[in-house]
Amino acid sequence: MKNSIKVQRAIYNLTQAQLAEKAKVSRQTINAMELGKYVPSTVLSLRLSEIFDVPVNELFNLEESDWE
Amino acid sequence: MKTNYLLPHRFKKVGWLLFIPSAILGLFMLIYDWTPDFLNVNVFGIFIDEVVGTKKYFGIVSNNILNEILGVLVIISGLMIAFSKERMEDELISKIRLQSLVWATYWNYGILILAFLFVYDLSFFWVMIFNMFTVLIFFIIKFNWSLMNLNKALTYEE
Repeated sequence: MKNSIKVQRAIYNLTQAQLAEKAKVSRQTINAMELGKYVPSTVLSLRLSEIFDVPVNELFNLEESDWE
Repeated sequence: MKTNYLLPHRFKKVGWLLFIPSAILGLFMLIYDWTPDFLNVNVFGIFIDEVVGTKKYFGIVSNNILNEILGVLVIISGLMIAFSKERMEDELISKIRLQSLVWATYWNYGILILAFLFVYDLSFFWVMIFNMFTVLIFFIIKFNWSLMNLNKALTYEE
């Protein structure tokens, strides 16, 4: 799954640590998501969607491999 | 969803403070067969089968309680270290916790199976003693190792 967290973070001019604080997770989690190493829960996805004020579908995109 | 059966973060430090001395004393006790006289007491037992003596259910038996004290301390403090929340216990940490627990369980029983097959008699008694604690110890090592790798992977570009 791809995500545009890093792009959104740049738009809002937030550091990983600042975003982590807003989303109530650790900085490691933000970092792992940006690197595509961790797929967040629905709750965290919705939190990010609210923080960035974009629909979840715009923040996350399925890839071919997600259907396998 | 909020139930995770974990202890508050502060228990972790207490766990380490109890675990290290108890584990060291425990090893010392095992190696040197240490049974201080003042800890020889009569205790209540459910199954009693003395080497020389009676075989009965429920009764009083004379025993050196050092191994009981240290065993309980090592297990309780080990549980505190293993299952206290991290400072920021979020969903990624919980996932790593679960993976580490599965890993530790596999290794613990993998080693136990090998010991079943290749270790006999009194040597197996030693395996059983250590196996009481290894699942916790394997978990603590694997979990902290994974957390360390997670921190190492932190990229510093913002």
